[in-house]
Amino acid sequence: MTLILSLVVGTLFAGAVYLMLRRSVVKLILGLILLSHGVNLLIFLMGDGLRRGEPAFVDSVTGAVSANAADPLIQALILTAIVISFGLITFIMSLAYRANQAVQSDDLDDMTLTDKL
Amino acid sequence: MLSSMVLLSLASAPAGLFVRRPHRHLGGWALALIPLTLFALLCTQIPAIIDGASIRETYAWVPQMGLDLAFTLDGLSLLFGLIITGIGTLIVLYTSYYMAEDTGRGRFYLYLLIFMGSMLGLVLAGNVITMFVFWELTSVSSYLLIGFKHDYPEVRRGAQQGLLITVGGGLALLVGLIMLGEAAGSYAFVDILAAGETLQAHPFYVPAVLLIFLGAFTKSAQFPFHFWLPNAMQAPTPASAFLHSATMVKAGVYLLARFYPALSGTPLWTYALTAVGAATLLFGSITALRQYDLKALLAYSTISQLGTLTMLVGLGGKYGYQALVATILAHALYKSALFLVAGIVDHETGTRDLRKLGGLRRSMPATAALAILAALSMAGIPIMFGFVAKEILLKATIESALIDPARYAVIAVVVVSAALGVAYSWRLVRGVFFGSPGSGMKPHVHEAPVGMLLGPGIPATFSLAVSLGLLPLAGEFLTPAATTVAGTAVAVDLRLWYGFTLALGLSAVAIGVGAALTRFERQLVAWPSPLPGWLNSDRIYDATINGLLGGATAFTRATQNGRMRVYMLWMLLAFLALVGPAFTLYGLADLPTPSFANLQTYEALAALLIPVGIIAAIRARSRLGAIIAVGVVGAMMALFFVLFGAPDLALTQLVIEVLSTVFLVLVFAVLPARFEELSRKLTRARDAVIATIIGITMAGVTYAAASNRLFPTIADYFKAESLSAGKGANVVNVILVDFRGLDTMGEIMVLFIALLGIYGMLRLGRARRREADGQPARSYVDVPTGIVQDVAPVNRVEA
Repeated sequence: MTLILSLVVGTLFAGAVYLMLRRSVVKLILGLILLSHGVNLLIFLMGDGLRRGEPAFVDSVTGAVSANAADPLIQALILTAIVISFGLITFIMSLAYRANQAVQSDDLDDMTLTDKL
Repeated sequence: MLSSMVLLSLASAPAGLFVRRPHRHLGGWALALIPLTLFALLCTQIPAIIDGASIRETYAWVPQMGLDLAFTLDGLSLLFGLIITGIGTLIVLYTSYYMAEDTGRGRFYLYLLIFMGSMLGLVLAGNVITMFVFWELTSVSSYLLIGFKHDYPEVRRGAQQGLLITVGGGLALLVGLIMLGEAAGSYAFVDILAAGETLQAHPFYVPAVLLIFLGAFTKSAQFPFHFWLPNAMQAPTPASAFLHSATMVKAGVYLLARFYPALSGTPLWTYALTAVGAATLLFGSITALRQYDLKALLAYSTISQLGTLTMLVGLGGKYGYQALVATILAHALYKSALFLVAGIVDHETGTRDLRKLGGLRRSMPATAALAILAALSMAGIPIMFGFVAKEILLKATIESALIDPARYAVIAVVVVSAALGVAYSWRLVRGVFFGSPGSGMKPHVHEAPVGMLLGPGIPATFSLAVSLGLLPLAGEFLTPAATTVAGTAVAVDLRLWYGFTLALGLSAVAIGVGAALTRFERQLVAWPSPLPGWLNSDRIYDATINGLLGGATAFTRATQNGRMRVYMLWMLLAFLALVGPAFTLYGLADLPTPSFANLQTYEALAALLIPVGIIAAIRARSRLGAIIAVGVVGAMMALFFVLFGAPDLALTQLVIEVLSTVFLVLVFAVLPARFEELSRKLTRARDAVIATIIGITMAGVTYAAASNRLFPTIADYFKAESLSAGKGANVVNVILVDFRGLDTMGEIMVLFIALLGIYGMLRLGRARRREADGQPARSYVDVPTGIVQDVAPVNRVEA
């Protein structure tokens, strides 16, 4: 399963890179979303081995976490990452919205004026 | 004592800033006490050094790396130390008069004293790293001094050129020194010098020596790196006299002489140094004769003398060591005197151009006398110290161990250069002090004040006095220096009369030819340059600098053309270049063979849906299609989280997915959201290839990383401590709010800042529209007020 999920990470990165290399702002946003999925899944695989089912909960009877429970640390990291990438994507979306108002275009090549040498 | 001497001169440098009032010289005299004290302190060590002792001081600097701050005083460093502090004293005094009107005098003194401290540190350093630090400090202070009058573009150019050349050579030197230190197993000079045979057999020997040559040649203005020195004459004359004649430019020679016992003896050492030195000597002498600027003439003459010194370090031999130390002393004396005379002439007449000067012997008799003394020494006329030095120089070339045609060539170069030296010395003296009064001078030229004459006066007098009465003393004083260079005892035997020798004959020939050359001065000056135009190092330097700047501009234009995705493309390619080869070489072998033993069909199907969603998102022809495709990917992510024991993640992912979809629908509704292809087919194909390679690399890296554990997990700690330390059963939640609570707070801050940004942007749009409608615009910068008004609208009382 690790191999399959690694391949999924690869496809997510490939799709994200392809979309982010397009000229349309809309595709850039879609690419960013895919990229954050890819990164989250990548972190998810970096934990203490993939295990089906058991979340990391302290059992009320034994008073300990089952030895087979999933790695809680990466989950905490991903949780943070999900929320932050959401913040980033909404920010980019409103930026695209404003840029569209100002430039009347969704083509990134129309927005190169400020960076010319 | 040595470290405190270096420290004293560096620490007292800011005192120079107090010399401010124009036309008052008390400050200058007081400052001169600093180098004078150091000079006196060094003088007290002369007897001990002559007895063969040497002083060593070592302080631990970075003991973990085996770095020491070490200082050594032996014969060679004593000679240089006395030249630095002795001439330094005169320079400090002279500056007070030379720059009497300049309100920036204090700044000049600051740089000058920093330089003096650095130079002293350079020659007193006891290990190569300590020496290198001071080596670079002299380059930097030289830059500051050349660029002192930085209002003029040519001054800035000269300063920059000097810095780039010497510091560039310094970089090469550092590498060479480190190689040497690694080969010898120690960075201390004592150990390196003791490890001579080991070093010469070491594979590092040739590269290290070549790199050290590069450092020494750039610093000591050897051909073809000589061109920065004439341009450095943009510095105020006291700095030129001090740095670019007497001390700093000799640092390269000092370094070579310092390493002589360990590194010399190989053909590489002997022939490379002799060839470069002789070429520099000949080139400098020829070019010096062609100059009209007094300081340029002296600069090229200095280059030729530096060539002599480099050649002597290459030649070695009993007379070579003697000639080396004698020439160093003789040159320091007459050249500093001549530079200071040039400064006086410039100061009093307002010009340094030989065509505008003339007849100054009447109005400036004392200056003329000093200049003639020093010039006689430079020309190597008998009874001057310069003559004695040249005698031994000739003897060193005659007795050198070079194979025969090379030896004759070197002798010829030395004789020709000596003849040219006579000619340009005569040209200098005649052009300035004899003949009819020059046309381009200030009216009412008068003699310089006594304080100013002291500067050239003392070294010029010494040029005569040493050879008249002090030769045995000078010989005794120079013996330890020659011994240090040779590594074995060498007695310096200085005499005005060695008997009728070949050297004397060659000297006479040189003087005769030189005297004859003066008859053809005008023709010689008009002679075309000895080098073809394209070989002009100065022009090559300019072309290099311009090429670098042009290349950098072109590169920046190509990589940063304002298109964000081109930036990203470069970053991706850089990532691939860094990670791809490393992964292919080292990562591929570690990949475990996958096992599909407990693969669940539904998991595989869910995994398959993600690529399907991605392709659908890429190929989508409508907004809704794209949103749904991306939504599928997000939902599958949530599904994986559920399957693999992460319900919190799944919940969050779903909530965020819903929110994102809502936003996407909102924003895409107002964007033009054309879904036709904007890029050309070829571009798309290229991007698809790059994306695929990135995807394969990422998949491989992820798989390799996920199946190899280098460190034990720290998750067990959180699992064990969750209930007892964090008082919560859900370990993930406890980590978020307790163990890594600060992270979560940071995350909230990020969201808040993003919110402020979004809010500001949306308001900006509204403010612009209100403006367009002719309504009073509210400031969009004023975000907090805006939020308050939007959240709790209150009627504002308009003033």
